[in-house]
Amino acid sequence: MEYVISVLVLMGIYVILSSSFNLIIGYGGLISIAHPIFFALGAYTCGVLSVNMSIWPPLAVALGAGLALVFSLMLSLPSLRISGDYLLITSIGFQLGLLEVIKHLSFTGGASGLGNIPNVVDFGDRSTVFAAISIALAALVFVFIRWLIRGPYGLLISAMRDDELVYTSLGRNAMKVKLVIFGIGCACAGLAGGLYAYYYQYVNPDQFEILQSSMILTMVVVGGMGSQWGPVVGAVLLLFMPQAIGFLNFPPSVMAPLQGLLYSSLVIIFLFVRPQGLMAAFDRNSSRPSK
Amino acid sequence: MIPILKIEKVCKRFGGIVVADAIDLEIHAGEILGLIGPNGAGKSSLFNLISGIYPIDSGEITLMGQSLHGLSMVKRAQSGISRTWQHMRLFPSMTVLNNLVVASRYYEAENLRALFFQSGKVKGLQAEKENDAMEILVRMGLASLSNSPIADLTFGQQKLIGLARALMNDGPCLLLDEPMAGVEGQSYETIKDIVRQEANRGRAICVVEHNISFVKDLCNSAVFMFNGKLLERGSVDDLLASKTLEALYFGGQKTIPVS
Repeated sequence: MEYVISVLVLMGIYVILSSSFNLIIGYGGLISIAHPIFFALGAYTCGVLSVNMSIWPPLAVALGAGLALVFSLMLSLPSLRISGDYLLITSIGFQLGLLEVIKHLSFTGGASGLGNIPNVVDFGDRSTVFAAISIALAALVFVFIRWLIRGPYGLLISAMRDDELVYTSLGRNAMKVKLVIFGIGCACAGLAGGLYAYYYQYVNPDQFEILQSSMILTMVVVGGMGSQWGPVVGAVLLLFMPQAIGFLNFPPSVMAPLQGLLYSSLVIIFLFVRPQGLMAAFDRNSSRPSK
Repeated sequence: MIPILKIEKVCKRFGGIVVADAIDLEIHAGEILGLIGPNGAGKSSLFNLISGIYPIDSGEITLMGQSLHGLSMVKRAQSGISRTWQHMRLFPSMTVLNNLVVASRYYEAENLRALFFQSGKVKGLQAEKENDAMEILVRMGLASLSNSPIADLTFGQQKLIGLARALMNDGPCLLLDEPMAGVEGQSYETIKDIVRQEANRGRAICVVEHNISFVKDLCNSAVFMFNGKLLERGSVDDLLASKTLEALYFGGQKTIPVS
């Protein structure tokens, strides 16, 4: 039971990560692979703050999300000003470079990670409380993105993604809408990071490597890019996948690369066979045109 | 009377290619000006210069007496320059109605403070935009398609939606880039009526068009462009009567004769 509950915590975290990444890549058409680093920024902010001072946890999580937002602007402002493609290139450097910085700073614990993050839940069953918080936050992020996409701002996002030049010629500021959705997406990743740090009480740079990006991307692609339920379904399915292949009884040294291989294969297979993902057909508000 | 759009000695070159060579042009309120000339004459490029896609090398463009110098494309559209595109370029993932709504001259939801903290007001304004869009669709006879995806529309209907989207900007200047290319039958008549109505409402309209009978039916006057130069302005009939222009248009002559 304890195990199921811990998977639920992760599920909430990954629903936040995949839904926010979907906002960036699926709705916004902006390709970035730096989502794990914003996840890390949220986690490390909470870790560093709570290890060094007594801070109200929700405030630390909010600060983590805020820092992710600020860093997202540092990445998107210069690169999006030129063209959307530069975001991808810059994001690779940003992800690799910033993680290297984290690995070499003493206050972040360096390569060995940051431990001793205090337990902030001293009531009830710890995991159950975290599972509830995690799922509640995931629901909040889901509802927020749904509100954003279905409302007047959603029209701006769709139109900008469809044709940026025409969008601008109509008097709409494309740069602004790109900065906003990238910022919101990254802030959500920071939020997930805060939750992650408080739950595991330990953060390590290895957890935020570039490969995390392929996992989040797989969740989005398998579930359905640009559909609201897609990333949720993708996150749930992919979190169960390690369990599903667990019966093979391979040693961990084989399991980890096998998982990576499966994620990459899934993305390729889905892009060829069902590019709209699993959920697009069931999702009325999918914003991708049917081809 | 101040012209709505005034172009003075505008020059633009891309490397060795001159797309605008000291162009002077004025369009007044209520006027429909035809812009004719062979392919590559610089007609669409002139639209791109007016709407701000490319900066001009020299000269000046003014809208109702105000210089557009240094104004971005966004600001020019908000100042009231609206345009269509030769290849429609509608937003394929959106419905017909939403294609129009997003094209309003001002869009309050772009302002995040208003979006988050004045959502009631934004909602009301959004409903107004939907009403405006529906009104335009009714005028075009396409109200029943308001919730259709763009892919479901015929070519002619898509041309009409391209025009409808431009009309959502209620500014004084309308630039139409080949509104009739590939259009026939009912859509042809509708586009003609709508353009005439918009001129009667006081807009200054400039039409790039190869369909000469459309230009003849609709435009008060026309200008002939060739190799980035504005060769002549006059009534459509006068321009068509010119043997030189006819030869330039239909390819008999490759260079402008020295007078």
